[in-house]
Amino acid sequence: MPGYSEFYFNVDHGYLEGLVRGFKAGILTSADYVNLAQCETLEDLKLHLQTTDYGNFLANETGPLTVSTIDEKLKTKLLTEFHYFRNHAFEPLATFLNFVTYSYMIDNVILLITGTLHQRPIAELAPKCHPLGSFEQMEAVSIASNPTELFNAILVDTPLAAFFQDCLSENDLDEMNIEIMRNKLYKSYLEAFYKFCEKQGGTTAEIMRPILEFEADRRAFIITINSFGTELSKDDREKLYPTCGKLYPEGLHLLANADDYEQVKRVAEYYADYKAVFEGVGSGTGEKTLEDAFFEHEVKLNVLAFNNQFHFGVFYAYVKLKEQECRNIVWIAECISQRHRTKINNYIPIF
Amino acid sequence: MGSLFRSEEVCLAQLFLQSASAYSCISELGERGLLEFRDLNPKVSPFQRRFVGEVRRCEEMEKTFTFLQQELRAAGRLPAPCPESPRAPAAREALRVQEQSEQLAQELREVSRSRSSLRDRLRDLRQHLHVLREGQRFTSLPVGPGREPILDPSLHHHLDRKINFVAGVIHPWRVTAFERLLWRACRGYLVASFVEMPEPMEDPATGESITWVIFLISYWGEQIGQKIRKISNCFHCQVYGYPESEASRTEAITRLHGQIQELSVTLEETEKYLAEVLDKVAQVLPTWRVQVQKMKAIYLVLNQCSFDVTKKCLIAEVWCPVRDLTQVQDALRQGSVSGSCFVQRVPTTESPPTLIRTNKFTAGFQSIVDAYGVASYQEVNPAPYAIITFPFIFAIMFGDVGHGLLMFLFALWMVLYEDSPRLRQGTNEIWLTFFEGRYLILLMGAFSIYTGFIYNECFSKATAIFPSAWSVATMANHSSWSSAYLATHPSLTLDPNVTGVFQGPYPFGIDPIWSLATNHLNFLNSFKMKMSVVLGIVHMGFGVMLGVFNHVHFQQRHRLVLEFLPEMIFLLALFGYLVFLIFYKWIKFSAADSRVAPSILIHFIDMFLFTSNAENLPLYPGQVPVQMVLVVLALASVPVLLLGTPLYQWCRQRGLTVGAHDFAEIFMHQAIHTIEYCLGCVSNTASYLRLWALSLAHAQLSEVLWSMVMRNGFVGLSYVGGVVLVPVFAAFAVLTVAILLVMEGLSAFLHALRLHWVEFQNKFYVGAGYKLCPFAFAPDTWE
Repeated sequence: MPGYSEFYFNVDHGYLEGLVRGFKAGILTSADYVNLAQCETLEDLKLHLQTTDYGNFLANETGPLTVSTIDEKLKTKLLTEFHYFRNHAFEPLATFLNFVTYSYMIDNVILLITGTLHQRPIAELAPKCHPLGSFEQMEAVSIASNPTELFNAILVDTPLAAFFQDCLSENDLDEMNIEIMRNKLYKSYLEAFYKFCEKQGGTTAEIMRPILEFEADRRAFIITINSFGTELSKDDREKLYPTCGKLYPEGLHLLANADDYEQVKRVAEYYADYKAVFEGVGSGTGEKTLEDAFFEHEVKLNVLAFNNQFHFGVFYAYVKLKEQECRNIVWIAECISQRHRTKINNYIPIF
Repeated sequence: MGSLFRSEEVCLAQLFLQSASAYSCISELGERGLLEFRDLNPKVSPFQRRFVGEVRRCEEMEKTFTFLQQELRAAGRLPAPCPESPRAPAAREALRVQEQSEQLAQELREVSRSRSSLRDRLRDLRQHLHVLREGQRFTSLPVGPGREPILDPSLHHHLDRKINFVAGVIHPWRVTAFERLLWRACRGYLVASFVEMPEPMEDPATGESITWVIFLISYWGEQIGQKIRKISNCFHCQVYGYPESEASRTEAITRLHGQIQELSVTLEETEKYLAEVLDKVAQVLPTWRVQVQKMKAIYLVLNQCSFDVTKKCLIAEVWCPVRDLTQVQDALRQGSVSGSCFVQRVPTTESPPTLIRTNKFTAGFQSIVDAYGVASYQEVNPAPYAIITFPFIFAIMFGDVGHGLLMFLFALWMVLYEDSPRLRQGTNEIWLTFFEGRYLILLMGAFSIYTGFIYNECFSKATAIFPSAWSVATMANHSSWSSAYLATHPSLTLDPNVTGVFQGPYPFGIDPIWSLATNHLNFLNSFKMKMSVVLGIVHMGFGVMLGVFNHVHFQQRHRLVLEFLPEMIFLLALFGYLVFLIFYKWIKFSAADSRVAPSILIHFIDMFLFTSNAENLPLYPGQVPVQMVLVVLALASVPVLLLGTPLYQWCRQRGLTVGAHDFAEIFMHQAIHTIEYCLGCVSNTASYLRLWALSLAHAQLSEVLWSMVMRNGFVGLSYVGGVVLVPVFAAFAVLTVAILLVMEGLSAFLHALRLHWVEFQNKFYVGAGYKLCPFAFAPDTWE
């Protein structure tokens, strides 16, 4: 019964939607950021965070405060909230929330494989993984020596197995192949997520479409820019682009043939949104990087998700906004602790 | 009582505190809880304030305390509540507390660290022991006939291959995934066996007790072995050495036994020492916590103060009840070292906070009023009148001697045992609500007994305390009713016009004979309806009169003439006259001329239409002109009310320069007030009819309960009937309490609340104030 989801949405998901909107009200405002940026020490930062929704989340830290403890605590808080959502979710919201975690799982798998490749012990790598994407067999990833083994032994039991079909090859795991694998995984993940949202229909599809389209296109741009100067061929490059974005198919084809940054920028000019993003990028020290510009656009899209009711997009948007908030706080904390105040205002305010 | 009539006088004052003695002064004031401090630096963020360092130090100490508390709780001890209230510590004492607490925490940390490492070691040894023991099952020689060992060690030599073992323990949740991965990764070149450990052990990560699973993997080949070790590492398994020969395994077991015993002794010693340290902590911690909490509160207040130019003196701005100024001075004298702290009143145009002191009796009634809105500064407080009117209006709707008595006794029990800690410290919110309102419930019960006697109802049955004023015998003699006539006529009429049948009114309340009459309801309806209107108009009139005290107190004498007078005329000319008609008709017309008695309703309608009805006889001569005058008076008072105050203020302020905007606002406000008042008089009077409706509903419901439930118990006068009566009475009692007392009681309470908030208070009460929240060390925040 797509199209009429409003009528019965609240029966299953009303509580969680109310909750997520309540949590959203606790997201730091630009006034908070202005205050945070004025802090002299991390203790000041903690004192100010206490007056916000974060409350006493750092109260029981013994010993001096470091940026990494702040980061860890921020993530734990997000994780607690997310687990609460996940544990109280009904289908299809449960699957939707699972999809949200898959991207973090992919990142974790890649992180562990790369780390193992560089002979790092697993005990050192595990804490660096994003807690949202942790799964039972995660740490065993390091024993695999090629993608097939990785798939057959470990990932076949995980939800990532479905995205792995394109990556099976007997190649050894070197840095290049890992990067290709990450992008292929991400491509199939994004396409599957997109298809899932389309299947939900209604407002969910309507809200998630632009967000996922942007995500796909951002990946395409970044793959292109990062591939300059590597041995990746143009054909191979095109295979990595997710095909659920606005760029598909003409834009992707143009991107595949691009040779330098200027050509990428020219491709972006065909699309109003991306034109604006690329125009906002500056090359000076105090100006925005392309990454920041993309983040800013993402925040804008996610904030829009809260304007509609009766859809799952708010959960995705909340997680992403909260993640951005973590990045902001960590950035400010990093600037404070390194006494590098010139760039302290390079955070991306949300509201 | 004087303070209950209107809120106390509160003034704005400045405290000049010498820097050296500011802390002790605030401490002294906090103990007494007199003043509300105002934030003088609202724009300064918390971490830029002056005493942020001290606040942070308090937080550090609290962190240490939290650690100590956690340790206490982990050891299964609950810290005792602080016996008396220790004063906030002086600077040097605070330093001592900080030092000692940190020292204790350090000590505790070390001891518990060494204990936990000992424990870990012990657990490790035990697990190893278990692994070796359980492993025997798979690797030892067959015990009985027909049981083959899974791996026969004697085969080693034949195969020319060495079988190796990896043994260890794993978390039970991870077993399946572990097994599956082993199988997949090693392609079956191994035999893995899993068995549960016979005794549960602690999980070092979470502290929970878990039945671990022992695994024993035997494999061929070194490469596989490395892989297995890696995998078991990933799954956070504890891997233990597993000697290959039987003999060395036995030897290892004996060695482990010895080590375990040694360790247990050491651990016991450590535990003893730890208990000593915890004893010390439990002794001092509660006092410290309270002290540091007070200290932090003081610094937070000091953060709200500002410095004078010379930086030698802190200035605080406070709201202070004028009555307590001397106490404040006392406190400052005690707190200051050299006597140079003082308080000074400051003139202000701001409206001060409302302070109404209550005791345990009045608190419940005051909170009913406050729930609607806290009184504006110094306006008339409706609470003292609610002490009587609220239970009374409730009782009108709840009139029943039996139900009232039950309610009264319940409240009496709460009042008599109010000091018992068991009642006081209930955690049930609903119960606490009832407990807070115990005096209110007591009065409601008492008044219900009174109205119950008026209605003459006790569990819906009438009581005949006095003999009925109606004589059936006289009537029977008069109309010579024969036995046959009585048998055929189920209902008979008593005619009050026959001499001797009606001997005058019943001494108190309703005559019990009415409970037998078929027109009982008609009679009661007429009575209760008129009673509701009369009481309602009296109540509202009283509300309008209370406005006088406000006008006089706030020096707005013009409002006496321009508001109070037209309001009173409007109310009395229309509805006061109705009350007069009701009483007049009751007195003037008796049973003899009841056939020609005119209808008040028709008269009242005719009064507004300026007509007269020929069929409806006048109540008294000259009625029509009197009514005309009253209606004209009432109508004439409306424009006075509407325009009086605005025009008066306009005239007064004409000399000054006042914008038209201001005047429009005054006018709009007055227009709204006028419309609300005039329409309100009509609708509020009708609203008081809920008294009739609710009391009718209550009476009917209790009657239904009696006739449908209780009467079933009176089936026979035999012993069987007596047995049947027991469950029937149980049902009757439960339903009486659940429906008639609790449900009906709540509904009557709600309607009484509404009549007070809406119908009564809107005649005079603004309720736009805010409460004075004095800075005090409240004992309930120390938990």
